[in-house]
Amino acid sequence: MFVILNGATIHLAEPQTLAALLVLIAPPPPFAVAHNEEIVPRGTYEARLISPGDRVEIVHPTAGG
Amino acid sequence: MRDRDMEDQLVLYGKKFASRLLLGTARYESPHQLTDAISAADPAMLTVSLRRQVSGSKDSGQSFWSLLQKTQRTILPNTAGCLSAHEAVRTACIARELFQTNLIKLEVIGDDQNLQPDPFGLVEAATKLIKLGFQVLPYCTEDWVLCRRLMDAGCEVLMPWAAPIGTGQGPRNAPALRELRQRAPHIPLIIDAGIGLPSHACQVMEWGFDGVLLNTAVSRAFDPVRMAGAFAQAVRAGRSAFLGGPMTVQEMAVSSTPEIGRPFASDCSSQLPPAA
Repeated sequence: MFVILNGATIHLAEPQTLAALLVLIAPPPPFAVAHNEEIVPRGTYEARLISPGDRVEIVHPTAGG
Repeated sequence: MRDRDMEDQLVLYGKKFASRLLLGTARYESPHQLTDAISAADPAMLTVSLRRQVSGSKDSGQSFWSLLQKTQRTILPNTAGCLSAHEAVRTACIARELFQTNLIKLEVIGDDQNLQPDPFGLVEAATKLIKLGFQVLPYCTEDWVLCRRLMDAGCEVLMPWAAPIGTGQGPRNAPALRELRQRAPHIPLIIDAGIGLPSHACQVMEWGFDGVLLNTAVSRAFDPVRMAGAFAQAVRAGRSAFLGGPMTVQEMAVSSTPEIGRPFASDCSSQLPPAA
């Protein structure tokens, strides 16, 4: 299936949980995740199923004013 | 720190701060320079932001986050660049998850030329975020009705601009800023954006503003660390001057030295012959 990760389309084997996706791409901590614009609390990644066409955002701290 | 300084603390959402300077973390030449600038400025808070992970990057904010944690300063995430209330609310929510704080510097930009806040989006976003339990510090203009709406929404701090972000122009609308201070005497007002010089910071603090938020004025100075220290002194001086109570401006000159007993002063002095 195809999902949109940080604005780019990627291909994933089905089915996937958010936890499995994070293992796959291994983002360095700290990070936070949104799934279809909904914030996903830490500790709930395993329960979150990803479907074709879903949008996943992974963000990290950066400098700001 | 002197006892008098300890008594005069900035209180934001119930939390006390000895410093009245808030410092942005962007546009420094190096992490080392940022660290030194933080030490020199001694800020109450550090503003930060968030962005998407860059694919393949080995250090996506890790070293930056480690640096911030070592400073032990309060972190103030922002919603910089958001162009709608919806986008700002979503960004604030993911910032809370990332930084584990209810504090948010709320920016809803309404114009891409001067980065002016969108007053309508700002009130809408602030209203929603406060209902979600956020402690909102809105970046706003000096417009009184906008500020009143933000207070009505539940904002316990306001952050009016001095001038557009990153311009360093200093206070562009002094009468309106001073009127805002007079009409909202109890809510903390922090000047955010447009400050360029320590004298600008000192000036607004003399007017009774509660603090100053800086970034570009420090990070784009020739010597950011020295400038950070200069701003720290200016903010303290301005605050002390406000608390000291400035004198009343007079229309005519008033001699400060006593007139009585002045030597060589007599009625005869006017009868001396003119010099040759």
